[in-house]
Amino acid sequence: MNPLTSSAIYFTLFSGTLITLFSSHWLLIWVGLEMSLLAIIPILMSKPNPRSIEAASKYFLIQATASMILMMAAIINFYNTGQWSISNTINQLSSLMLTLALSMKMGLAPFHLWVPEVTQGIPLMSGLILLTWQKIAPISIMYQIAPSINYNLIMFMALMSILLGGWGGLNQTQLRKILAYSSIAHMGWMMAIISFNPSLSILNLLIYMMLTINMFMLLYYNKKTSTLALSNSWNKSPLLTSIILMVLMSLGGLPPLTGFFPKWMIIKELVSNNNIILPTLMAIMALLNLYFYMRLIYSTSLTLFPSSNNTKIKWLFENTKITPLISAIAIASTMSLPLTPILSTLY
Amino acid sequence: MNLFSSLILMSLIILLFPIFLSFTNFYNSHTFPNYVKTSIMCALTFCTLPSLMFINYNYELVISNWHWMTIQTMNFTMSFKLDYFSLMFMPVALFVTWSIMEFSMWYMHSDPYINRFFKYLLMFLITMMILVTSNNLFQLFIGWEGVGIMSFLLIGWWYGRTDANTAALQAILYNRIGDIGFVLTMAWFMFNSNSWELQQLFMTETSLLPLMGLLLAATGKSAQFGLHPWLPSAMEGPTPVSALLHSSTMVVAGIFLLVRFYPLLENNETAKTLALCLGAITTLFTAICALTQNDIKKIVAFSTSSQLGLMMVTIGINQPHLAFLHICTHAFFKAMLFMCSGSIIHNLNDEQDIRKMGGLFKALPFTSSSLMVGSLALTGTPFLTGFYSKDLIIEAANTSNTNAWALMITLLATSLTAVYSTRIIFFALMGQPRFSSLTSINENNPQLMNSIKRLLFGSIFAGFLLSYNIPPMNTPLLTMPFYLKTTALFVTIAGFIIAMELNQLTLNLKLNYYSHSTKFSTLLGYFPITMHRLPPKMNLLISQKLATTLLDQIWMEKTVPKLVAITQSSASTLTSNHKGLIKLYFLSFLVSTTLALAMVIYFPV
Repeated sequence: MNPLTSSAIYFTLFSGTLITLFSSHWLLIWVGLEMSLLAIIPILMSKPNPRSIEAASKYFLIQATASMILMMAAIINFYNTGQWSISNTINQLSSLMLTLALSMKMGLAPFHLWVPEVTQGIPLMSGLILLTWQKIAPISIMYQIAPSINYNLIMFMALMSILLGGWGGLNQTQLRKILAYSSIAHMGWMMAIISFNPSLSILNLLIYMMLTINMFMLLYYNKKTSTLALSNSWNKSPLLTSIILMVLMSLGGLPPLTGFFPKWMIIKELVSNNNIILPTLMAIMALLNLYFYMRLIYSTSLTLFPSSNNTKIKWLFENTKITPLISAIAIASTMSLPLTPILSTLY
Repeated sequence: MNLFSSLILMSLIILLFPIFLSFTNFYNSHTFPNYVKTSIMCALTFCTLPSLMFINYNYELVISNWHWMTIQTMNFTMSFKLDYFSLMFMPVALFVTWSIMEFSMWYMHSDPYINRFFKYLLMFLITMMILVTSNNLFQLFIGWEGVGIMSFLLIGWWYGRTDANTAALQAILYNRIGDIGFVLTMAWFMFNSNSWELQQLFMTETSLLPLMGLLLAATGKSAQFGLHPWLPSAMEGPTPVSALLHSSTMVVAGIFLLVRFYPLLENNETAKTLALCLGAITTLFTAICALTQNDIKKIVAFSTSSQLGLMMVTIGINQPHLAFLHICTHAFFKAMLFMCSGSIIHNLNDEQDIRKMGGLFKALPFTSSSLMVGSLALTGTPFLTGFYSKDLIIEAANTSNTNAWALMITLLATSLTAVYSTRIIFFALMGQPRFSSLTSINENNPQLMNSIKRLLFGSIFAGFLLSYNIPPMNTPLLTMPFYLKTTALFVTIAGFIIAMELNQLTLNLKLNYYSHSTKFSTLLGYFPITMHRLPPKMNLLISQKLATTLLDQIWMEKTVPKLVAITQSSASTLTSNHKGLIKLYFLSFLVSTTLALAMVIYFPV
């Protein structure tokens, strides 16, 4: 793409999210969301083939609907309270509509159906932006209206997200869809804690973003998009194969790695609030996530996938992809668990 | 000092002499059967005198002979209770047995083990006498089990035949189920009183439980519905066995037990209602089954079963003495029916299928006339034997405050009695012969003729003699409307007429194929087919599954691991099977929104 247009598009995307983060007027929040929506559409279609265009149009439809519902909620709030500024207390109907709209934007169950579809149709880097950057704005709005969200509803949606994210990912071999379902499950974990301790949601979001960025970059390095392709990466980039192992295990939430930290905190917070059954179920369902990560690890790093002998002998060429900070992020996403005390005081 | 006790004991001991003699060389001679028959005749004469003493002077006796042992508070003695029931039943049973013994001297003439046959019949008779005259439950149980065992040995007389062996086993098994009830009653009485003597038991306040036990015992022994299939299968035995055991004597033991315990039964309404309903179901069901049978002995067996149901109905309407009277009169004509069937069977060279008989009226005149008299007595023709008991029963049922449904069914079964009796007469006696013409048919043997003659006299006169000589035990029912009095007669006549019409249809050349509803009757209500296979198979299967696969395969393997795996994989395929149509996604979003709205309205924070 023309560097001028792409810089304009990326700038619009960036500033759209920032406008949503910084504003206290409902209308401007909506403006920011729309800006990021419109800006990301060409990013999604950066490789113009029918599948990408289909994905982009699906994304647009869903997000536009969500934005409209959000607008409606803001207007109802204005009608009832007479003010546009975002505050903690909003009436029930607005709160409900906001919850639904933001769940649609985030990809929280039962509004999760678009996430795997769209993620599968777009190139890897676009998928990265979709699954990480686009989550910041809705979660920040949720953070701000957290006290008035209907507790039962959000808990139910969170639990369902974790369930559906786990079950959906079991049946996939395409890596983008696996990461999409993992995103749904992580959104569930984030929304589970939002009524009790919204800061933990943000923390979870940050760590999730770090892990997902890492994952996408590792996949982007050799353009692996399916399990089969990933399974002969031991030959092409053996070091990256082992890093994929660590990052996937961290994403699944195994203890000595960073990904354990948000889950641990969330469970602790829920149990402190006398909520025992829900975190038990959530933890058990997270095992499903871990299972399909382990399946990936099994076929890529732990075992040699069956292949003909010709594929086993390769020249290792130098890779020309730009993968900024891949090693730094990899270290941060696997070895940050000892930093837990300082991270929990940050928020 | 009169001879009452001596005569009775002598009568019983005379029956034992042939058993003792069977250990000697006399057992191998060919006059042993005659000796047995003669000893029964002597026993009959000896016990008629005490019966006459009872009829005249109301002289009852309890003979308590021998004290066997005492266990804590229970005395086990050998005691004989000679009251109304036993003193009336003994002569009848001995008379009928005498005739049957003489008949079987002709019937089993060519059997090489005829001496053993007579010994078995005699042992049966002895145990039946023990049952009838016992004064305590223990002795009754000895007689009870004794008749069961002898029934087994006699049904399986021709043990080379598989069907005979299975029928014998079937009889034992069904009787055993009934014995559970008997032992239950014995145990209850052991807990709640200190003896098993009948005099003491009748003073006990009983709950429903021992009476249920007695009812179960009667169901088993007297082939009531639920434990009835052994009676038609028992026709595998020789005809004298069917005549003695399975028509007159053994199968009435269950009813006799209930009649003995009538002081306990008459206070318990539930027991009587149960007996009434059970008897009504039995009588109708077996009458229906008798309608389409083709074996002459099976028809008579089902007729027996139907009459046993009628006896149970009589007990249910609180008329034990009428039931007992029916036992006595029924013995005569039923034994005679079996003997006539035996005569027909042997004369046609062992042909038992009525479809292959016919035209015997001219060939066997005496047999056919006694068959007809027996059938008329069975259906309750006025002033023959059956009338004096059966008509009284129907009258009593009509005028009592009883279950109207049970009454209806009993009346229906009464008319069906006429139907199947007509069927036997029509197919066996009337029309043109359907058997091969080379058999020599004759009635020349005096043993055959005399025995049937005796029972013929009994079938005609015994009802009159018995009912006018027995002491009245309760107020008889004298007044009722005309239509109630003649109900039994009318339904019987209606049955005869309908049956004759239907049977005439078989003379047409064109066969109209009948519907499938006759299969209910032919297959005995599907009861043996289902109940002989399905419950044992289920029991064995469950026990096998419990023993082998429950722990290892199910608990260890399938419950948690496989269940979790299958659940998760099916949930995964269910939830991630998307079509990709955005229309469907929006539809689901709409549904979710509506549900969320409902949720927020009904569960507000």
